[in-house]
Amino acid sequence: MRYNRIIKNRYKLIIKYIGILIMAIGGFLLLPLLALPFYPDEIIYLKAFVIPSIIFSSIGYLFYKKIDSKDESTLSLREGGIIVLSSWLVAIIASALPFVITGELNFTQAVFEATSGWTTTGLSVVDVAEAPHIFLLWRSIMQFFGGVGLVVVMLSSILHPYGFGLYNAEGRSDQLLPHVRRSTKAIMYIYCGYTISGIILYVLVGMGLFDAINHSIAALSTGGFSTRVDSLGYWDSLSIEMVTWVLMILGTINFATHFALLKGKFKIFFKNGEIRLLSALIALFVPVVIYFSLVELYDTLPNALRRGVFEIISAISTTGFSLNTFANWNQFGVFSVVILMLIGGGIGSTAGGIKLFRIYLMLKSLVWELQGFFLPENVVRENYIWRGESKLYIKPEYIKTTANYIFIYMITYFLGVLIFLAHGYPLLESMFEFASSLGTVGLSIGLTSPELPSLILWTQTFGMFLGRLEFLVIFFGIVKIIKDTKYLMPQK
Amino acid sequence: MYILIIGCGRTGSYLANLLSKEEENVVVIDKDATSFEELSAEFTGFTVEGDATEIEVLKDAKLAKADSVVVTTDDDNVNAMIAQIASELYQVPKVLVRVLDSQKEVIYKELDVITMTPTSLLVDKFKDEIVRSV
Repeated sequence: MRYNRIIKNRYKLIIKYIGILIMAIGGFLLLPLLALPFYPDEIIYLKAFVIPSIIFSSIGYLFYKKIDSKDESTLSLREGGIIVLSSWLVAIIASALPFVITGELNFTQAVFEATSGWTTTGLSVVDVAEAPHIFLLWRSIMQFFGGVGLVVVMLSSILHPYGFGLYNAEGRSDQLLPHVRRSTKAIMYIYCGYTISGIILYVLVGMGLFDAINHSIAALSTGGFSTRVDSLGYWDSLSIEMVTWVLMILGTINFATHFALLKGKFKIFFKNGEIRLLSALIALFVPVVIYFSLVELYDTLPNALRRGVFEIISAISTTGFSLNTFANWNQFGVFSVVILMLIGGGIGSTAGGIKLFRIYLMLKSLVWELQGFFLPENVVRENYIWRGESKLYIKPEYIKTTANYIFIYMITYFLGVLIFLAHGYPLLESMFEFASSLGTVGLSIGLTSPELPSLILWTQTFGMFLGRLEFLVIFFGIVKIIKDTKYLMPQK
Repeated sequence: MYILIIGCGRTGSYLANLLSKEEENVVVIDKDATSFEELSAEFTGFTVEGDATEIEVLKDAKLAKADSVVVTTDDDNVNAMIAQIASELYQVPKVLVRVLDSQKEVIYKELDVITMTPTSLLVDKFKDEIVRSV
């Protein structure tokens, strides 16, 4: 009975926090209305945003106010998992509503679009050419908050549930400063600062303000929603592409590494394993892909180079902007992009994929293992890699966790590809499209469109969600809920 | 405020938890990584594993930037040395030291350091209780 009461109290606390997050989501829904003064004829869409906003704000308020929880204690990782899981689900449903209310998309498509936004994927079933500005802005706003994460936004501003439970549950483990609140604030400053600089740079190189805002957000959050059908290919301008390179790379770098960089610690920045691996991968794949795949498509080398650099950065940073179609690439090029999408960007950044850090750790572990064969039997070694501003000493359990993560990632990937294949899509296209979903990339070889069967859309939706929240949180959250409901059920 | 706590035993960890909950920036140093298990989930600061008598460790923990330093290791000689480094070499505004052996309190006489001796506190209290009751 006592345990029963404790669980009930904990859930009251959890629901209270969920309530606060739901209120915040209600608030976010009003942000696209900022576009109205510039596009007054889109006032007809007002109710599509205001109605869900009112619904969710009041639900959140009810949760927050009506439940009195005196429990001031800290949240564990599992409890954080429940909060993160439920608030992300609510965020996705709430964000899908405006599309449904205006009849722009059906429910499946709207959820797909919202998931794609919140997980910063960038696969889209919206007809960008027709969509009103307010919806385009809404897609970017989803990516802005999805990129940095709901919890970080919350921790940095309103509230301070004590402890790391929540912070870790959203897939972040790095700390910039010795307090979680200050760390999240620093993340928000870095993120907003880069976004604003991105907007300014885009305007300077000749993009319109509305496009600049949307593309800067989409590049930095490694989201990749574009306001044009041809994505960045629309402008066909090298300077715009170069700004995008920089923003995409910035977006894929861990915030702790940014912090070291901004403090002027260049040495530490270049010692960082993720930076090294990222540079190595770009330096390796750009010439190889150009040589084996792009030379036959483009008549001049500079053109092939431009295309190659852009798409490689877009894939590894899991952004998903593209200059042109992938349909005419040969298999070598397509598969290289699949590999890069699976590897993904930096851990603790806005990017997705397996993450550079995990790949780097596994590579290092392989090297250490091989070196071990040539060392004296009783040698004691301290293996470390640079992470953020400090050395991280690697324990064997750490490597185990990482290997397990990569294993579960690949299993999910293959299952997803199998579902595609069962629908009769070709192997390479299926691999490309699902790697793009699971890694929250957003490049498409041409499969993703509103006409896709809904099972495929749901598979992709699910993949994006798993990829963004990094599996374990979802697993923790669900298992904990099931276990606790068992206790709360009246025992016979 | 930036607070550096050296020694993560019962005292150090308890203080670190409370300060972190109060939203202060807290960094804890201990030479034994297992003692960080004493820190509760409320603690969101940094931990540094290392011997605080080594200057590299103190530099790593950014002693120069600290607003307060709390020294609570279980060795009075170590405490005295670190307290001197903090207040004399790095001019940390506030240095607080736990002194175990009350006879050693004299070491700190010349220093601008706040000392606290649990034993003396206890003895004073008990003495007062006994004397008053008699």
